[in-house]
Amino acid sequence: MRWLLVSLALQNLGRRKARSLLLVAAVALGSSVVFTGAILMRSIDRSMEVGFTRMGADMMVVPEGALTNITAALLVVEPTDLVLDADALAKGQLTSLSRVAAQKIVRVEHSGIGSHHDSADLIGFEPARDFTVQPWLSEKLNRPLQPGDVILGAAREGNLGAQLLIFGKPHVIYGRLARTGVGTHERGVFMSFATLEALASAIGGRGKQPAALAPDKASGFLVELAPGATALQARFAILSSVKGVKVVAGDTTLSGIRQGLAALLDGILALMALMFASTALMVSVLFSAIVTERRVELGLLKAIGARRSQVLGMMVTEAVLATGVGGLLGVVLGVLVMRLFERSLVYTLENVGVPFIWIDTPRMIAFAAGAIVLACIIGVLGVLYPAWRASRRDAYDLVRGEG
Amino acid sequence: MLSCRQLRKSYLTERGDVTAVAGIDLEIEAGRFSAIIGRSGSGKSSLMAMIGGLSRPSDGSVRVDGVDIWGLSDDALAAFRNGRIGFVFQFASLLPTLRLIDNVALPAMLGGRRVARDVYDKASTLLGRMGLGDHLDAYPSEVSAGEQRRAVIARALINDPALVLADEPTSDLDEQTEIEIMDELLAVNRELGTTLVLVTHNLSLAEQAQQIVHIANGVVVS
Repeated sequence: MRWLLVSLALQNLGRRKARSLLLVAAVALGSSVVFTGAILMRSIDRSMEVGFTRMGADMMVVPEGALTNITAALLVVEPTDLVLDADALAKGQLTSLSRVAAQKIVRVEHSGIGSHHDSADLIGFEPARDFTVQPWLSEKLNRPLQPGDVILGAAREGNLGAQLLIFGKPHVIYGRLARTGVGTHERGVFMSFATLEALASAIGGRGKQPAALAPDKASGFLVELAPGATALQARFAILSSVKGVKVVAGDTTLSGIRQGLAALLDGILALMALMFASTALMVSVLFSAIVTERRVELGLLKAIGARRSQVLGMMVTEAVLATGVGGLLGVVLGVLVMRLFERSLVYTLENVGVPFIWIDTPRMIAFAAGAIVLACIIGVLGVLYPAWRASRRDAYDLVRGEG
Repeated sequence: MLSCRQLRKSYLTERGDVTAVAGIDLEIEAGRFSAIIGRSGSGKSSLMAMIGGLSRPSDGSVRVDGVDIWGLSDDALAAFRNGRIGFVFQFASLLPTLRLIDNVALPAMLGGRRVARDVYDKASTLLGRMGLGDHLDAYPSEVSAGEQRRAVIARALINDPALVLADEPTSDLDEQTEIEIMDELLAVNRELGTTLVLVTHNLSLAEQAQQIVHIANGVVVS
């Protein structure tokens, strides 16, 4: 009996191919927007969450005259010979700062990293105080960072746990950073102060050792503001208590990106709601017309003994089949759209250091199933009222084409 | 077999209530062939719809084999129509997307009480009896109007009904086909003992009936 209703529903759909295809296409489009929108929203939401935890310092303190690289996502010191005392900020007892992390940066050549003529940035940090390097770790060994370990920037090749010779000394590749979009980070080799200082004699060679490798010196400090403190307050406090430094604050690009993404999310949400409503309305109107057109047939079915529930079941089955197929096609379309998205916007975002992390596969499958179920629900809602009304009418009225 | 008491039907239109049937009492014995005649708009089709459980009366009752059919629930009435009454309408009432054999089997399948194979065997036998044994797999659009009407008669018989209601079953057919269709219906009445009620405005068809009910302006006039 159930198969008879399914068969009737399928045949009815096949009878008006153009209309059925139009219905399927409209539902596919709506489902695609909902599916893609939901996935992108969750992914963007997650990416923003991760992005915030990965964010670099609020400002940077470097020797006056040093080059700085300010990007949207983090602050880095460019290699320079100028240095500061390692305890320069500690001495100032600055209450407007909550965290301070020193970095030593040395640009070296003929180190054995990369090809023969490649220069490499060796970046030292204090693992216990660092808050700008380790959050970028995309993969790492399952143990704490140890002396002799190095972390590679995203553009460096090497397997986790493999040996990396730096000036002939063996080091272990402990981890790798995600793409940051910042050259220093992309090509950098990160290590603890102790590991970097152990290379001092090799780096210096026959010449003078870089000033940053001295135990009491640092190339600069990455600073996080205390809650409630403003960048202006911190800058004033630093400049008034520490001589020979310049304070570099992050620009407004990051907040611009954040605001842009938030607006994008709102836009996607509005578009989803609009698409859902318009698809539901269209399906309802279409099924109203279909039921009206088929009232003689429905009346006939009632006359030969079809129960109201059977008439209703047949129409609902027809709607679920059409909108379910539409939902399925919408998911396929959504996947294609997301692949395009990945190759364009995601690529661009990652290049400027804004991470984009897709939600995991099981959740994506759940969203796909949800989109198909939602499409079916639209079909059921669309057909329910006109079919219910028709099923309540006298068979004779329907057979005569009334109602 | 069939008993109607003070049966009334009025329709609400833009110009107010229109009375189609104005209090009809009717008795039809089991196994008889009865004809309900009258001019167009006399109320004969409305009467047949109420007798067949297709249109709810405004007032009065219809009893078929002692069952007050309009006192039944929707589902029970549907089951009653399905099992006890066969319909032959004045139009070709076959589902266009189903083959003739599927159309004939449909009422039995909707009833859900019989095995599909038995149903299809019977549908095949009935279509063979109607001279459509070679057209089991044909779609309605692939056969003539007369053949369609014969398939409708086969469908009306699939559940072995006690009562067959035929509403102008030959109205759009040529004379020869009309005779063939009437022969089929009369054979059903005589050979199977099925009560046959024919609604028609064709007096020559009505003359073959054992009981003639003449309706005018919604009341029985003779």
